[in-house]
Amino acid sequence: MPAAYFLPRAELDRLFEALAVDGRRIIGPTIADGAVVYDELDSPAGLPHGWMADTAPGSYRLRSTGGERAFDYVVALTSWKRFTHPSLVPLTRSRRDGDQIVVEPIREDAPKLAFVGVRACELAALNIQERAMRAGPAGDPDHAARRDAALIVAVECAAATSTCFCTSMASGPEVDGGADLMLSELDDGFVVRVGSEAGAGVVGPLGLRVASPDAVDRAGTQVAAVRAAIGDPVPGDGLPERLRAALDHPHWAQVAERCLACANCTLVCPTCFCTSVGVASDLDGLDATTERSWDSCFSLGFGRVAGDANFRPKVRDRYRQWLTHKFSTWWDQFGSSGCVGCGRCIAWCPVGIDVRAELVAIAPATAPAGPIPWPLSPAEGRAPAALATAAPARHVIATVRSVMPETVDSATLRLVTTDEALLGARPGQFVMVEQPAFATPPISISRIRPDGLDLTIRSAGAATAVLTGLAAGAQVALRGPLGRGWPVEAAIGRDVVIVAGGIGLAPLRPVIEAVLAERPRFGAVRLYLGARTPHDRLFVAEMGEIAGRADVEVAEIVDRAGPEWLGRVGIVTQLFDQAKWDGSRATAFVCGPERMMQATVATLKGRGVDPAAMWLTLERNMACGVGTCGHCQLGPFFVCRDGPVFSVAELGTAFAREGL
Amino acid sequence: MHDTDTLTESSGDLAVDIAGLTRVEGEGSLRLKVRNGVVEQARLEIFEAPRYFERLVVGRTPDEVIDIVARICGICPVAYQMTAVHAFEHGLGIEIDPAVRALRRLLYCGEWIESHALHVYLLHLPDFLGYPSALDMAHDYRAAVEAGLTLKRAGNKLVEMIGGRAIHPVSVRVGGFSRSFRRTEVSALRETLTAALGIALQTVDLVAGLDTPEFERDGRLVALKHPHEYPMNEGRIVSSDGLDLALTDWRSEFAEQQVPWSNALQSRGRDGRPYLLGPSSRITLAGDQLHPTAAAALARTGLAGEIARNPYRSIVARAVELVDAAAEALDIIEAYQPPAEAATRWRPGPCSAAWATEAPRGLIFHAYELDEQGLVAHAQIVPPTSQNQAAIEADLAAFAPRVLHLSHDEATLRIEQLVRSYDPCISCATHFLDLRVENLP
Amino acid sequence: METQAPITPGRRGPRAGTPQRPRIGIVKFASCDGCQLTLLDLEDELLAIAARVDLVEFAEATSHRSAGPFDVLFVEGSISTPEQAEDIARLRAVSHRLVTIGACATAGGIQAIRNWFDHEEVRAVVYPQPGYVDSLAQARPVADFVAVDAELRGCPISPAQLREFLVALVTGRRPQLPDEAVCLECKRRGVVCVAVAQGIPCLGPVTRTGCGALCPAYGRGCYGCFGPRESANTASLAKWLSDDRSASDVGRLFAGFTAWSPPFRAMIDAHGGPPGQVIPVKETNDA
Repeated sequence: MPAAYFLPRAELDRLFEALAVDGRRIIGPTIADGAVVYDELDSPAGLPHGWMADTAPGSYRLRSTGGERAFDYVVALTSWKRFTHPSLVPLTRSRRDGDQIVVEPIREDAPKLAFVGVRACELAALNIQERAMRAGPAGDPDHAARRDAALIVAVECAAATSTCFCTSMASGPEVDGGADLMLSELDDGFVVRVGSEAGAGVVGPLGLRVASPDAVDRAGTQVAAVRAAIGDPVPGDGLPERLRAALDHPHWAQVAERCLACANCTLVCPTCFCTSVGVASDLDGLDATTERSWDSCFSLGFGRVAGDANFRPKVRDRYRQWLTHKFSTWWDQFGSSGCVGCGRCIAWCPVGIDVRAELVAIAPATAPAGPIPWPLSPAEGRAPAALATAAPARHVIATVRSVMPETVDSATLRLVTTDEALLGARPGQFVMVEQPAFATPPISISRIRPDGLDLTIRSAGAATAVLTGLAAGAQVALRGPLGRGWPVEAAIGRDVVIVAGGIGLAPLRPVIEAVLAERPRFGAVRLYLGARTPHDRLFVAEMGEIAGRADVEVAEIVDRAGPEWLGRVGIVTQLFDQAKWDGSRATAFVCGPERMMQATVATLKGRGVDPAAMWLTLERNMACGVGTCGHCQLGPFFVCRDGPVFSVAELGTAFAREGL
Repeated sequence: MHDTDTLTESSGDLAVDIAGLTRVEGEGSLRLKVRNGVVEQARLEIFEAPRYFERLVVGRTPDEVIDIVARICGICPVAYQMTAVHAFEHGLGIEIDPAVRALRRLLYCGEWIESHALHVYLLHLPDFLGYPSALDMAHDYRAAVEAGLTLKRAGNKLVEMIGGRAIHPVSVRVGGFSRSFRRTEVSALRETLTAALGIALQTVDLVAGLDTPEFERDGRLVALKHPHEYPMNEGRIVSSDGLDLALTDWRSEFAEQQVPWSNALQSRGRDGRPYLLGPSSRITLAGDQLHPTAAAALARTGLAGEIARNPYRSIVARAVELVDAAAEALDIIEAYQPPAEAATRWRPGPCSAAWATEAPRGLIFHAYELDEQGLVAHAQIVPPTSQNQAAIEADLAAFAPRVLHLSHDEATLRIEQLVRSYDPCISCATHFLDLRVENLP
Repeated sequence: METQAPITPGRRGPRAGTPQRPRIGIVKFASCDGCQLTLLDLEDELLAIAARVDLVEFAEATSHRSAGPFDVLFVEGSISTPEQAEDIARLRAVSHRLVTIGACATAGGIQAIRNWFDHEEVRAVVYPQPGYVDSLAQARPVADFVAVDAELRGCPISPAQLREFLVALVTGRRPQLPDEAVCLECKRRGVVCVAVAQGIPCLGPVTRTGCGALCPAYGRGCYGCFGPRESANTASLAKWLSDDRSASDVGRLFAGFTAWSPPFRAMIDAHGGPPGQVIPVKETNDA
């Protein structure tokens, strides 16, 4: 096969016809409402012949070149993610009929599309987003199907605009593979390179002549000029490290004065993939659908968790979240930068914030290496190895056998299931609990039984209120088990310290049970239990029984109490801050409110417990459960996928850092 | 806020005090005092709070005014936008594309359908059938209420397509619209409107058969009239007594006046006579321009003469106009070709602008003075209800003696029903009305 | 022509109603009626909704009246007269939950523009006998007078959001009413940004979503009728817009239907107040 063919300009419609076989629809650049967008094309006539886009921070204007070229516009407003990761994707349809519920995934057939005019930076973006969407245990099936059904016709840039910086992100402008067909537009036609069998299948029947060396040469010269025009605006060497060393840089607040937090940058970004799930239902909430739509870390709601707490209330925090993810923690998670230098976020920012300038201000190439808050680790070394193998899109209907009230606002649902994956859950894992018409909360498993699971739930919102109000015989839909559990085996041969605050005892109970089941394999076992009031204590009878054992030390404390409480009053760390035991031989498991965990970690460190042997489970807004919605991101982690159990050493200063 | 209705009855004496009128737009009350068979007082009072729109538009650009005046009324925002936009275009000498003209008529058809369907089915029909609301009526007449709601939805869909949303649409701009509309977008409503036309025709039959109180008024009727079409955005002001006036000259014949006993501003003829606007007036004065389908429906009822005289028959007039608007809308859709440009370009500048159009409730008049920068220096906005108020009160006075023999409930119902016959829009009228509540002795 | 089901009297539907239907009231103050009309604009589901809630007070649609108590009271309109200030306090006392609907109730509405003007002068422009007009010096949002439990934004409110609120009420879940910027919906819809591509001033970045990015989709800039979103950085947007327009034209952009909301009000104040502050020479009213 020759290196390149030549397609005369007048024959572009033949290529379109060849692409359109078998009902394949062609998506390509066209002009709408003053901008080039990607939309369905019937023929090459719809291409933006003779149009160039002048872009600048906060500005985009089409300009007529008077020429015939179709691909001088550089990049469209829309990115290809509109077609691989649509802004709205239906997820499930659910129905309630008395106690019975049905939850079915909605699968839409991926349309057969040909993307015509994909730039080098956009090819890189497609691959980056694909890595992100396929990173979970099963990946996102919708995205995978759409990506697989798309034929890619790349067109190398023949021009650059002032917002381009692909050169700095090592993503362009040259197209070096990764597409089914690769075109370079010259005045008289196109140099066509074939990148795949599918691509060969398209051009083969066209009987194109081989491109002349002159044409190939002109194409090369053309793209070299583009590279030279762009230069290297954001030196990329060491950028991930420089950024993470600058988390407290005063410039974040300066950007926040200008930033509107309007989310345009993230929605035009070809790699940003964050979504939120909404619920629609009939008037009675009996028939419901869930659907996910594009969301953004720039919205306040994106960092919101149960009880209206918010991890990123300030715009400064949201901008930092976006920039550090895109240019730094993306490397941790997916082994590459999250930016391809397409410049969309610069042009389409309504107040013209230029990410290149912000990067230079916050993490200049000359910045001295500061302390790095968490270790940089390659994506493949990350937690997925520890993940369970459950297919996350699968819903298992479980039946409530009984409901045991625990405290005034919490109850334990005893669920019966025969699902092997659920029965094989590990201590510390969680499930997503779906009910028609309600939000889907993540719930930690509080007991793994041979015939089912216990879920201990605090009524903190409408969905959890309904769950705690269920009666025996009711059904719930479970997705899981999800997340990385407690590494109980890491404590074998060591002392065990378990510190629980309030409802935090629920995910720890399986640890307690696992340790007691093989009690001789562990050293001393100490259980420190805190609660707001005596009435907020969980599993009172069980804990009382354990306290009666000679081989376990149990201590309890409550924040406040009336005269009927004969025990200790104070915060949980008071139970062990004066203790005499040697922490260096201990493995600790901690769960409770964030403040309680901070205090506990500090006290345990004082007792000599190694941060690598101190395990926490974090509360985040875990929405998808498989690391593809972005809600639970914490520094380099997705809590749902990489946690929710982490060691304090793994978290580094990401733990308890305000605004992350 | 909601006092109980009171009615005391003795020979020839009657005092009706309905402190909170329902199933009308906005907050108003009705006071009627009859002594020895003589009406001493018939008053439609308004306690809707003033919002000072004529003052709010001062300093605004014409396009801003189009957005602002819509907010006078959530039921007929298009009427305000149409009147304002035509006033500015006339004042500034802006020519609009014929396709834009057609789209505006189509938009107005949508509002007529929505507003008339609301009034016929949800506000007025319950009176005839003896229910406190259409929601209650639906227990026994579910199909009728559903049909009315489907009709209303069709009107709203039309406004939504052109204006973006049913209430306070956003696309009307001086010179045209903020965007253009493809033929496929416009014709997508064909099925909806065809169904609406069917319901509208049945509505005529339904309301023509309603039992209606005997009452004949002999007042002056006023409406726009156009030589080639049923009046909406253009025409001349005509009356039942021979008036024929350019619509920009409303002020030469009519005026907002103070009524000595209430200190309320009402519009009357400059000779002090009240006049009646709305569907009955339009049918009577411009019925020869009804769409053939609507004209046939009207003829079938045989009620054209009664519509001119008996206010209770306004529900028939509204139903005939529902047919007219749906049939017209279908014709416009069939003939639609997109304009060359969404809007004619224009330059701001000074002018005196005035225009009148036909709102669902009747003729609406706007006048604006624009300063050197093209900003509003002075505005006058005269909604239909402010013009109808004097006629409503006169009709109440004439009608009241007829209910003296009836029971408390029956008399109250008949009187309220009469008020609703005029489809008063109190939110619209607010800026001109007295807010004092005068207690009867 | 399509054949329609008969709509003549006679066909009976099922009687609706269970005793535990929430008692709903809808009342209005200074407003255009458009927000309460939005309930009637839910035509397709109106009867089904009416079967699930007990509409005990809704003067625009029913002659049934109630002075309370209400499980949920929807309040339209701004508080503009002394009587209204008394009424809202009384209504609050008989309402378990009070929900403001629309720009007038949540932000004062377009009539709050007069809050910048001299009250006597405003009255005199519209009414020949201003002394008879009883109004407060300012038109203010309901929350300035009583506690508000929830709000539906917009001028008018969104039918979809009203439906969502009612469904959430009936099913006992939390209504999904996002507080994010209009821009998110604009980009989800694939609308080309009118600000960046055409230089049309647009309040979308600082305005709460809910309209479906209506104005940009119709080729206009957002005029802020849903009011400020969370973290509305109006100062930055105003600064950017000031590059190619006068201060008064920047202030004018914010002086719309939610002008009195603090983030917008601050920009109006910072740019010399709303349009129309200079009192024109008044022409004599026709008489």
